[in-house]
Amino acid sequence: MTYLDNAATTLIKPREVRSAVIRAMDTMTSPGRGGHPYAMRAAETAFKCREIAARMFNAENPEHVVFTANATMGLNIAVNSLLRRGDRVLVTGYEHNSVMRALEMRGADITVCPSELFEPESAVMAFDRRMTKDVKLAVVNHVSNVFGYILPAERIGKMCRERGIPYIVDASQSAGSVKVDFRALGAEFVAMPGHKGLYGPQGTGILLCGGRAKPLIAGGTGSGSASRKMPGWLPDMLEAGTHNTPGIAGLSAGLSFVEKTGRERILEHEKELIMTAAKGLGGIRNVTVYASEHGFAQAGVLSFSIRGMDSETAGEKLAGRGIAVRAGLHCSPEAHKTAGTFETGTVRLSVSAFTGKRDIYRLLSAVEDIAPKGGKG
Amino acid sequence: MINYLLICRSLTYAQRTAKALERAGIGAAVVRIPGSIRTEGCGYCVKIPENRLSETLVTLQKHDLSPSRIYMMYSDGRLWEVPM
Repeated sequence: MTYLDNAATTLIKPREVRSAVIRAMDTMTSPGRGGHPYAMRAAETAFKCREIAARMFNAENPEHVVFTANATMGLNIAVNSLLRRGDRVLVTGYEHNSVMRALEMRGADITVCPSELFEPESAVMAFDRRMTKDVKLAVVNHVSNVFGYILPAERIGKMCRERGIPYIVDASQSAGSVKVDFRALGAEFVAMPGHKGLYGPQGTGILLCGGRAKPLIAGGTGSGSASRKMPGWLPDMLEAGTHNTPGIAGLSAGLSFVEKTGRERILEHEKELIMTAAKGLGGIRNVTVYASEHGFAQAGVLSFSIRGMDSETAGEKLAGRGIAVRAGLHCSPEAHKTAGTFETGTVRLSVSAFTGKRDIYRLLSAVEDIAPKGGKG
Repeated sequence: MINYLLICRSLTYAQRTAKALERAGIGAAVVRIPGSIRTEGCGYCVKIPENRLSETLVTLQKHDLSPSRIYMMYSDGRLWEVPM
């Protein structure tokens, strides 16, 4: 099977990730739970992972790196920490349900800032126009999980800072390939999954925290345990309950892989594949491709649709030909509304450091095979 | 043999502290807080050798790290809080 659904989860992981998970399962328990070698080994593993993440994403120090189960959990912590019921919140037109539902559930007054696909300037202007005094929070999807569009998160962050608006960045699709600089973003929180571009196992995630955090859940932390109250310091205040040590060990190995390979190199590789795919798909009759010119403002994700064919049907047909892609709304109805693809959805392909040109050629051949031959090109 | 114990608010804080000391060439180990001085429940501290305390304090100040309390631990296990 040709795997092109890396925006959901990277399937192929570096060998070291698997070994680290197994080693953790065999030799580690949980950080902060005891002074015996099994707990201390887990503690060292967790700290190493925090250190790498702090260095990679320019967080102040490892205490500002919080482990979560996924980006959704991180985003919920972030929203829960900053939002009060009825607060007006600005979001891009490309947000995932992990943001929209987290805001909706907590009674936010959401204002979508719609902007043109692959036009960063348009996104900046959309925010600028709506940043009135009553805005209490802004949330930006760094890279659209549907279109791979890289949004101008640092520029919007600067505008937020200038106007004193707290800011959250969803780095689900950017972490590991696009530059994520916590301090340059100026965000209160940056949430990311461990299982996508960081090549960790599922069930892992990282939340970079500025400081104004509020616990989402309460429980044991292995610190200040005489008190019924949650500790008031990071990362403990956001990490109640036993850690996913095998996951963290794997995530640490994944982060090391990205660091060793080079984020820029991974992005370059992914962009090249996406441009190859865009060019090839663009040449197939009855196929519409949503790509930016020369790969500008686009990461390793590409959407397309086939005229007269529902995206789910296209996805099924491709799966039947050995190609794993994702079809439908990709949990991001907002992005489809913004781009005008809400009714049909799109077929999405997404690549990783382990995707090759051959995978793209296989996809092109399969699309050529299933696309209707007649009608206008 | 006498050691000092630097009481830290959390495991991660203790690990940061130990790391900063190790980078400065001071041997430091993260250990559990002994029961007799565990005022806030479970926790971790950093153990350093006796003759490195002043150097330790300078290093920690440089890194903006401050232990919540410091204890002197005698070889027989007796503990004495160092006024800060």
